[in-house]
Amino acid sequence: MAMDKEELKRKIMEFMEKKSGAKSKVYLKDMQRAIPDASPRDIKKAANELVQEGKLEYFSTGSTVMYGIPGKGQPVEQKG
Amino acid sequence: MADIKKHDTPTVDELKSGPWPSFVDDIYSYAEKHQKQSCFDLMGQLELSYKHKETHWKHGGIVGVFGYGGGVIGRYSDQQEKFPAIWAFHTIRVNQPASKWYHTSLLRKLCEMWDHRGSGLFNFHGSTGDAVLLGTVTEQLEPVFFDLTHQFNMDLGGSGSNLRTPSCCVGKARCEWSCLDTQAICYDLTMTYQDELHRPAFPYKFKFKISGCPNDCVAAIARADCSIIGTWIDDIQIDQEAVRAYVGGELKPNAGAHSDRDWGPFDIQKEVIDLCPTQCMYWDEKEKKLYINNKECNRCMHCINVMPEALRPGKETGATILMGAKAPILEGAQLSTVIVPFMRMEPPYDTLKELIDKVWDFWMENGKNRERVGEIMQRVGLNRFITDILGLKPIPQHVREPRSNPYVFWKEEEVPGGWERDLAEFRKRHPA
Ligand code: HEM
Ligand code: HEM
Ligand code: SF4
Ligand code: SF4
Repeated sequence: MAMDKEELKRKIMEFMEKKSGAKSKVYLKDMQRAIPDASPRDIKKAANELVQEGKLEYFSTGSTVMYGIPGKGQPVEQKG
Repeated sequence: MADIKKHDTPTVDELKSGPWPSFVDDIYSYAEKHQKQSCFDLMGQLELSYKHKETHWKHGGIVGVFGYGGGVIGRYSDQQEKFPAIWAFHTIRVNQPASKWYHTSLLRKLCEMWDHRGSGLFNFHGSTGDAVLLGTVTEQLEPVFFDLTHQFNMDLGGSGSNLRTPSCCVGKARCEWSCLDTQAICYDLTMTYQDELHRPAFPYKFKFKISGCPNDCVAAIARADCSIIGTWIDDIQIDQEAVRAYVGGELKPNAGAHSDRDWGPFDIQKEVIDLCPTQCMYWDEKEKKLYINNKECNRCMHCINVMPEALRPGKETGATILMGAKAPILEGAQLSTVIVPFMRMEPPYDTLKELIDKVWDFWMENGKNRERVGEIMQRVGLNRFITDILGLKPIPQHVREPRSNPYVFWKEEEVPGGWERDLAEFRKRHPA
């Protein structure tokens, strides 16, 4: 059964909040592993919507993309 | 305007003394002409790196413009006080038009925009296919994106764990060998998969490259997770008259490409027949006639390349779909493997897209972080990949050559009568 999108977003944020203590950036894969009952595609769509809403942000390691909560852990960039 | 600060760069300057045109000359002459602080700082930091023998660039951070999870590759100086104009020096990938056709007026406008908003350094094109804008600061990313989308009708390309910008050879636009409308396929895939291109969806990158014929001018077989290479299933078209003209020396082999040296008279036996990898050609000297056993031809293109006026690919064309090429990251480099030996390629390319969806679904669910499709194919085995994941039937074309294919393992229930073997006995001869 498909999970409601808002429900899925809530679960993602829950997972991200929990994570942001130890490791502030996570792979899409980590979210997908943490929420096994939703399809990877739906998780991708929901996570990207959370970025549009400003609740999550993308972070790059150089060649792959990770997700973080704005303001937590290593900032996307630091000037000076 | 603030004063321009130039740096002493004696080591970097040595590169000007070589026999080649040097990027140092280029960057400095541009920097002087446009009074570009970022270019002077770039050279200054390079000098420092030469001195310290280590890089002063930091990787990572920003990935795109608002809402995009790719297209920008974040780079930062770790010497921002010394070189403030390159505190950030981001690379921006710009999705190239299919086959890289531009109107010169667009190129002029792009250059003007980049003189103004970036370092002025441009790379046409990256090995990804994109036009690469080299070096700008974060505050310019949105304005560059706005100009690209609103003035030039262009878009960012892919980077990170996304679909990367698809790319293709020049195809039917200029090449008589093309068995595919490479530009149409490239454009269609780019538009169909916009979401995958701009929003990270995958465990790692995924590339499509499309070549019109097995000459594979975009090196799809070596560089793309999904290589789409044009081919034909009927016979090579032969113009016997033109073959005789090559043999008689009236036509230059390889369209004269090797004529800078005297190789002696053209010898069809030595230069074509004997080099056919499947030995499927025959030149009848008495009849003055060329025969090809097309069943055995593996479409290597050699004979066609040597005698382009005499030979052409067949008329019934389509594509071979291969998967799994990659450079070494987790595992070693590998070329793509044949998945579908022949697929007709008519818009909207549904058969191809169904196949792609299956691969992506499986990879997104089961791929490890930074695992390419070629690596997951190896991990699960080609046989399982083909049968269980793609739902295809294993066929002889999947076997690279008899007894050497590393992937195909039979299960006992698949072989009529099964088999019995003594593992202990086997291990005596083949220690684990
Ligand atoms: C020791 C230093 C460096 C190492 C080991 C390194 C390694 C790599 C690797 C492995 C990739 C491929 C990533 C991928 O697409 O999966 C890459 C891509 C790239 N790197 Fe670096 N890099 C270094 C320094 C730099 C510097 C100093 C810059 C720029 C100031 C830079 C700019 C880029 C760009 C633009 C790409 C993307 C190229 C493309 O695929 O189109 N790198 N680098
Ligand atoms: C001696 C100087 C240099 C040499 C010999 C050199 C050579 C090359 C070559 C052979 C490639 C691969 C081209 C391709 O097939 O795509 C390449 C790519 C690239 N170069 Fe250079 N390069 C030089 C200086 C620079 C400088 C000064 C910059 C930046 C300011 C630069 C940035 C890049 C980038 C970003 C790419 C990869 C683009 C992509 O694939 O996306 N290079 N370079
Ligand atoms: S790959 Fe083939 S069709 Fe495409 S440009 Fe090269 S020779 Fe022509
Ligand atoms: S294309 Fe290659 S394999 Fe086919 S006939 Fe010509 S040389 Fe032989």
